[in-house]
Amino acid sequence: MDKFLGADVEKQVREIFADLKEPVAVVFFGSKIQHCEYCKEIHQLLSEVVALSANLSLEAYDLEEDAAVAARFRVDKAPSFVLAARNGDLVEDTGVIFSGIPAQYEFTSLIQGLLMVSQRDSGLNPATRQFLAGLTEPVHLQVFITPT
Amino acid sequence: MAYESRMVKAEMIEAMEFQDLAVQFGVSGVPHTVINAGAGEIVGAAPENRLVMEIQQALKI
Repeated sequence: MDKFLGADVEKQVREIFADLKEPVAVVFFGSKIQHCEYCKEIHQLLSEVVALSANLSLEAYDLEEDAAVAARFRVDKAPSFVLAARNGDLVEDTGVIFSGIPAQYEFTSLIQGLLMVSQRDSGLNPATRQFLAGLTEPVHLQVFITPT
Repeated sequence: MAYESRMVKAEMIEAMEFQDLAVQFGVSGVPHTVINAGAGEIVGAAPENRLVMEIQQALKI
């Protein structure tokens, strides 16, 4: 398979990644038994992205074969990947999940998401943080997007 | 938001690849944000304050 990221994009992303602070593990879930049209492509794209910074790493699992890992990261579909915070040997769930290929605008969301988790700062305003800290029941946000 | 609270799970879902889900929630344009499987929704951009309001309404808090 050819590379997804051209030299110019890699250069831009490397410059943005200069602001990464703490390690982030991208935890990918594919599926052997499901018809997973873009699993290979997404895994390759993620490999190319994490290769651009020593602060980034990639782990790959299978949604069905590694069901316990998927449950720990609250992942229920493939292809999906989680932007998890790596602290030493611990890989902590953040609940920040992408399902499907992160192309075009979503590629920007991916890069911004990596920055946010790496800086360990949501960037939200204090009132929003206070509201979120007080939540006592689960909130599941599903943001539908398309690559174009 | 997911980063701030363990209670929150935020999924960015590619609508073409997960068409069944998009159809289930009546997604016809993007972005389209669904809260707790349809208890709330925002069609179009979802600024921080608006999203907090919609979550409060969806949770009835």
